Amino acid sequence: MHCGMAQDTTVPKLNFKFWLDKAIEWGQATTLESQKDVCLHLPQLQEFLHQTYETLKHMNSIAAIQQFPLIGQLLGRLCWNPFVVGYDESQKTLMWCLCCLYSSEPQNPVELKANSWIRSLLCHLLSSSKWERIEAETSTFISALGYTSADYYCHLVENIVSSLVTELRENQFNELNIQERISVSRVNAVSLFCLPLITLPDLTPLLETLLLYHGGASKEILSSEFLEAVNDAVLKKKISLSESAIFSLWHRHLPSLESATLSLLDQLTSLQINSLEKVACVIKDSLLPQAASHPAIFRIVNEIFKNALLETDGAPEVMTIIQVFIQLFIQVQQNENKQHKFPLKAYFPHHHQPLVIALLRRPFELPSTHWLQHLKHISDTLKSIVEDTNVSSFADLYEIWFLVACFGEWLDIAAEQLMKAAVAPDALLWLLAFYYCPQNENQQRTQTMVESQAVYSRLMMLYNRTVLSFGDLQASVNNAADTEQCHTQCLITHLLTNFLLFSSGGHMIAQEFISHITETTDMSKEVCSLLIRTAYRIKHNGGENQRTVKLLNELLQKLAVEV
Amino acid sequence: MTNLRPCWLGLVLVPGARRVLRSNRRRQGCQRGVMEAVLGQVAELPALLAVSRSALVRDWDPPTLDRALEWARYFQHLHDRFRSRPQLRDALRRRLRRGEAGSPLSFRHLGGCSELLGLALLENRALPPAACRRLLQRLLQGEAGFELGRLAPLARRKAASYLLEGSALFPGKPGPRVCAEAGLLLCRLREDGREAGAALGWLGPVLEQLPQPRAFAVVAEALLRQGCGGGDGDSSAGGQAGGAEAGSVAGALLSWLLEDLHRFSACSLLLPGTLLASLAGRYAQLSRRYLDLLAEWGSHLLYDPLQGRWVKSRSEEAKLCWEELRERFGCLCQGSVQLREQTQAALKLLKARDGDFQVCGLSVWTDLLLEVEEDLRKKQSPNV
Repeated sequence: MHCGMAQDTTVPKLNFKFWLDKAIEWGQATTLESQKDVCLHLPQLQEFLHQTYETLKHMNSIAAIQQFPLIGQLLGRLCWNPFVVGYDESQKTLMWCLCCLYSSEPQNPVELKANSWIRSLLCHLLSSSKWERIEAETSTFISALGYTSADYYCHLVENIVSSLVTELRENQFNELNIQERISVSRVNAVSLFCLPLITLPDLTPLLETLLLYHGGASKEILSSEFLEAVNDAVLKKKISLSESAIFSLWHRHLPSLESATLSLLDQLTSLQINSLEKVACVIKDSLLPQAASHPAIFRIVNEIFKNALLETDGAPEVMTIIQVFIQLFIQVQQNENKQHKFPLKAYFPHHHQPLVIALLRRPFELPSTHWLQHLKHISDTLKSIVEDTNVSSFADLYEIWFLVACFGEWLDIAAEQLMKAAVAPDALLWLLAFYYCPQNENQQRTQTMVESQAVYSRLMMLYNRTVLSFGDLQASVNNAADTEQCHTQCLITHLLTNFLLFSSGGHMIAQEFISHITETTDMSKEVCSLLIRTAYRIKHNGGENQRTVKLLNELLQKLAVEV
Repeated sequence: MTNLRPCWLGLVLVPGARRVLRSNRRRQGCQRGVMEAVLGQVAELPALLAVSRSALVRDWDPPTLDRALEWARYFQHLHDRFRSRPQLRDALRRRLRRGEAGSPLSFRHLGGCSELLGLALLENRALPPAACRRLLQRLLQGEAGFELGRLAPLARRKAASYLLEGSALFPGKPGPRVCAEAGLLLCRLREDGREAGAALGWLGPVLEQLPQPRAFAVVAEALLRQGCGGGDGDSSAGGQAGGAEAGSVAGALLSWLLEDLHRFSACSLLLPGTLLASLAGRYAQLSRRYLDLLAEWGSHLLYDPLQGRWVKSRSEEAKLCWEELRERFGCLCQGSVQLREQTQAALKLLKARDGDFQVCGLSVWTDLLLEVEEDLRKKQSPNV
């Protein structure tokens, strides 16, 4: 009764001709080309089958065949393609479609024949006899024992998988015996056959063995379609593999690693970040910090982050994500009790090693009284690299800048110390100036340094005032706030925000002033990021007074509402 | 089958039985009566399964099919309820076994009833279209509380086994199908637990469903697995109980294999020497019988002085030629120390019986022993 309606909206979408041609081309998927092509089309085919079923279930069988004359041929061919039947939920949809076409009251020989054919197909899919032919022998034996084909194939797949796993593992260690070596093409074929079956839990041992399999050849043995499909399933949490298998996958297949990293970035940038706890959680779940213990993986992830930062013009959210990642990466490194850790140079091959070592020290490893000294050391080392050696190209400068930026914790502490320390060396301000304005061929950094020094001096004069008015503060920073230089504005905002958080008089006017900043400048994202980072840092390192903590929470809540 | 309407179709006890089971009044007598009723129903299971595979289904209409599937669900429900209650479970088991002689029906048939019935009906071409349509709806589309459950993974696994079976080499080992069949056979035998001896009733007829070479391969694989320290991972009983059960499972299989001389003889001819040697190493009864059999076959070899070697006599009992016999004995001697010594002792005895000749060409046992001992010497000092 609703066939007419259905016809108008769905026929254009259901391209039977295309899929039937494909199915004919694939045959029973016996050649490598046809197998690869099937694998490529599996997801779309499943979607097509699903849509077909959704249409069919509202029709009776006769109407269905009249409207979709090619459907019989198509379903028949697909049922004989093991890749299609083995994939995800395609077999369910195929069977449901067949059920829809079955006629409960066949009126003529054609319908009878169709019914019979449908039953044959279902038996082919579900009975215990072999795929290629109907043999009675095993079936009667199994059902006499009280088991069904479901039990049988459960056992059979388990046996096949454990057999293959054993064979592959033995071959791994059997390097001397060349005769027994499993050929590279066979392993490649096996990996392709596994592609539709990735989400079948029985296959997990085989997937892991394949991912950890190294045949000694320099080229990748496993099919790239397979590796991509496994990565996809892992990222979508459709399967769970051991960590070593996942790391092996990323190590041997660059596109998978890239995909995983980009997927992590996508996930994080779409989150409403109001606390870094969530960010840390998501990053840890992704297993990338753990995988990055392997230098090759670390270097690639680092590159991707570098590019992402460039592409987003240094967006503070992205910078924060990278900083958290690096923190977690270091944590993993320190927690692992590995026999042989890789040398530092493996992770940071192009960098000045003393600088790297200095940056890698985590703040909590040093007593807070040593922080000033350490920061000065970092700043001096950095200065000597940047000013004394020949850092000419932008690319080189960016490399160094990125290294420092990754360890943002120290930068934040520098800004904090500038407020809290009785006497803070110039080096700290220089460090921040470098961060916000790395280039200096036109003396931009020098200029920034000068301007922010002025603001800083004025802030220091106000620091110990217990009562401070909005006007007072406004007056102090007014000149500087006029600067058109974005870098300088960023640095000054950073100093200001810290001032408001940590000074005695600042906290009274903090809400008001920060609102002012976010309204009159476009520094709201920077301020937000800074507050979130500070909250995270305080939570993990502690040692901050209650007033500041309370203020921080209030500010964050207000910002969360505004965003 | 002469009755057109098996009595289970007429039974309306189902809902009532459940209600009474829950009742607390007049417990003792009532429960006994109810239990009797349940046992009576369960006794109909063989008939139900048999009918589902027969041409009698051609008279079924959709309501009949529904009833059959409901019965299957009811049996499944019984299985689930009684699974953790050993006494009731055993009572059901005994009742099922009381059926036709050689019927392998067990408690597990109750558990898998829905699936057994559903798939059997699917494959039964006599089922008329309307009933079949109803079956398809219930089986595959998950209506009326029928689980699609394992059928989707089934189709998937079947495709998986087709894809992967061709890839593996399985050199010198039994194929995965034989292993799967052996696994299921063991599962079934282990379910009988200590009463595996009772398996003798059904084991023969069931194994006859397979062609003989296959049956031997399956039984051999099952015996190998059972012999590995009381079964592999799916053996649920541990410790001493496990030992007794394992013993009776292996016992049942060995009995089948050894009770009939023709069968054992055929088996020993069909299975490879290495496999038989492994089995002989694990099972003393088998090693004895095997050695006896080899002795029998060896006695039919005659020495041909013109060719300078042993040949088969014309008689029908001469099954193995010299090379094959030698290979068999060789395999036995590559087994455990115990087996090797047993084999050598047997050869020495046979040699002595023949006259204890030291020279070649007079007694096949002398020659065999010489060759076997030569092999052992070579193995111990391969550089020579």
